[in-house]
Amino acid sequence: MSAQDKIGMDIFKVVTRAIAESDSLDIMADHLTQLLAGFLDIKASTIFVLEPESKELEVLASYGLSHEYLNKGPIWADRSIGCLITGEPVVVGDVADTDRLQYPDDAKKEGIASIISLPIRFLGEDVGALRLYHREVWDISPRDLDYLLILAEIIGLSLMYTKLNIALYNIKATISDLHLGLEPFFKAE
Amino acid sequence: MTKQKVLLPFNFKQLDQKALAFVAQSFTGQTDLKITLFHAYTPPPELGKGDAMDIPVMSKMRERLMSLHQEMTDQETALIKAVEFLVENGFPKDRVHHIFRPRKKDIASEIVKLVKEGRYQVVVLNHKPGKITRLFTGSTFYRVVGELKGVTACIVT
Repeated sequence: MSAQDKIGMDIFKVVTRAIAESDSLDIMADHLTQLLAGFLDIKASTIFVLEPESKELEVLASYGLSHEYLNKGPIWADRSIGCLITGEPVVVGDVADTDRLQYPDDAKKEGIASIISLPIRFLGEDVGALRLYHREVWDISPRDLDYLLILAEIIGLSLMYTKLNIALYNIKATISDLHLGLEPFFKAE
Repeated sequence: MTKQKVLLPFNFKQLDQKALAFVAQSFTGQTDLKITLFHAYTPPPELGKGDAMDIPVMSKMRERLMSLHQEMTDQETALIKAVEFLVENGFPKDRVHHIFRPRKKDIASEIVKLVKEGRYQVVVLNHKPGKITRLFTGSTFYRVVGELKGVTACIVT
């Protein structure tokens, strides 16, 4: 794929609308990976979440990759492509010509020829990664890369909003249970 | 006569394969058992709403959505292979089934709904402690175990 612009404002609009209008993070993430693979006409797309202590990248959603490839083993942020080390997007234009991959043989067997990895960040902290996989050697245009970086930031916002939402829900559930448990102590004598 | 109905939610991951092996080992030989493998897939996104309807790239996207449907078919085929694994391990063919349907809610809600609708007595779940994605999507395991009453839950870790 030559370095011509693939992403326009119309595609960006549809994709960000899919993020904004979804009330379920895992469904949103599934749709996003499907839309990105579809619009960019690439093999696959995956959204990862970073485990901050172990530095393992866990799959949140993926489209286009086989179960065998997804189950190949743990993915470590510092051993796999390394966009979370540099804080910048990493373009592996040709997987046959790089030492950045943690599982190079599995990638070739899967039919992946190139990978783009973008950090997903929130308030300056790494929270995950967005990866796009193509079956051909890929020379992405600087403008498309910029669009994808903005998209990764929007995904970061969405992830952290959902995390806060779940935390608040759990607090509410705990307080509700606590309230019921304490009721006998507040009955008038 | 079926005395016990077992539900195994299946998501094609390694722990799901382990849960499948557990079911094959633990319930083999029981002829009054019915086992159901369940997978709720995310249906493709709806396109063609609003002012994005007429842009040229949308027709290309709709073509790609056809391939999404093929992916769904491939997933169901993989689920059927998991059913066949149980049959190969001694379960009668008419005692092992699969349910493959689009999800409308989160996975935990889909599992709880199916357990109640289908009156399953046993559900086999897997749980990997410390998964960070749980902070963003909630814990399917804790939700299912917390919401079901009178159901035996087998946990594979």
